[in-house]
Amino acid sequence: MTLGSPYPRDMGRVALVVTLAALVVAVAGGPALAHFDTDRYTHRACPATAGNRTDPINVVFTTWGTWGRAEIQIESHAGWTATSGSTQSFADHGGCSPMHSQRASGQGSRFHVRLRGQHPDSSLGWVAAASAHHEDLVLFPVPCGHAVDSNGSGGSGFDQGRDELERRFTSAGHSAYRVWWGNTQSFKQCDGDYAASDGWTVFVGLHQVNH
Amino acid sequence: MRAVSLGTGVVAVCWLALAGSGPAGNAGAFNELPLYSAGDRADGLPLVAVLRRDDTANYVSFVYGDCVPEDDAGCAPPAEIQVWPACRRHLALYDSQASGGLAAERTSIRGVPAAVFDEGARLELQTGSSTVVVFADSRGRAARVARALRAVNGSEPAGSRPLPPPDPGALEGTLDC
Repeated sequence: MTLGSPYPRDMGRVALVVTLAALVVAVAGGPALAHFDTDRYTHRACPATAGNRTDPINVVFTTWGTWGRAEIQIESHAGWTATSGSTQSFADHGGCSPMHSQRASGQGSRFHVRLRGQHPDSSLGWVAAASAHHEDLVLFPVPCGHAVDSNGSGGSGFDQGRDELERRFTSAGHSAYRVWWGNTQSFKQCDGDYAASDGWTVFVGLHQVNH
Repeated sequence: MRAVSLGTGVVAVCWLALAGSGPAGNAGAFNELPLYSAGDRADGLPLVAVLRRDDTANYVSFVYGDCVPEDDAGCAPPAEIQVWPACRRHLALYDSQASGGLAAERTSIRGVPAAVFDEGARLELQTGSSTVVVFADSRGRAARVARALRAVNGSEPAGSRPLPPPDPGALEGTLDC
């Protein structure tokens, strides 16, 4: 073998191509870390404005909190497997996109949560934002569909939905803590009542492996 | 959440309704809390509801303007003023170091400590033993509503005059409820 033989040059080219490919995969395939910067409400449609807010975001899945894991583990831990409900949008880093998924505990009066994966965060890891609530199926006096509970012994329907998910996940061994966001704006429901979050958002850590 | 039906000249009437129809303990508590609203209209929007919440949250809300909810989707009224006891809601709540916390942009509005959120569509002012939260569908409207704040159940300044400073401990959240 001489220095001029093609073998080392080919090996060099292969190594270069492999290195470049690895860099491309690392850049394009890995999570693009950014700070957590979600809007504190969902929106009826995009673009997201303060005027088309619909629900408060009150649950954030973290660590391995991809929306897919969140969806599967909501089914597993809470038993919410129904998929019906209207589409809402989430804002993230100034952008706006439709939700990724939703799960509910049934079709009538029920718990219901909407989800969207957000930019990963250097501290929180993979993140999915969620708006959870309990809602009644309103049939009287005028049928209007689902309306979030305006009050109750456990707070509003938004607070009840958050608390239920927190209880189910912590009972299954997940870590959770609460952060004050103060997103307590009132939302008029189809039965004419108003519902609002109490301002506390729960952060739930998800595991890499579903269980 | 209990909504109070409204007629003309409603703010004082609503306060009386709240105090008179609620549990005695609640009415007593709110008799000690200065309430602020923008009167019968805020930025051209009529006062359409006064809400009293006292469960996992504790506030009186003045809702201005209407919106049209749909099945499975509520809607945000164009403007709302919530008045909380400062012992339950105060600016120090935003000082948490927990990951995912919400940073408050501190400022001064009407001469009292305040914070700006949501690009100006939400303002929080601390005055006396109250925390006044303004929600609006735009930054401009929130500012105009804040300028129109006036006392409901007292003789505090009206219009754009300075509000009373926060009570000692109100900013830090050390007031007793």
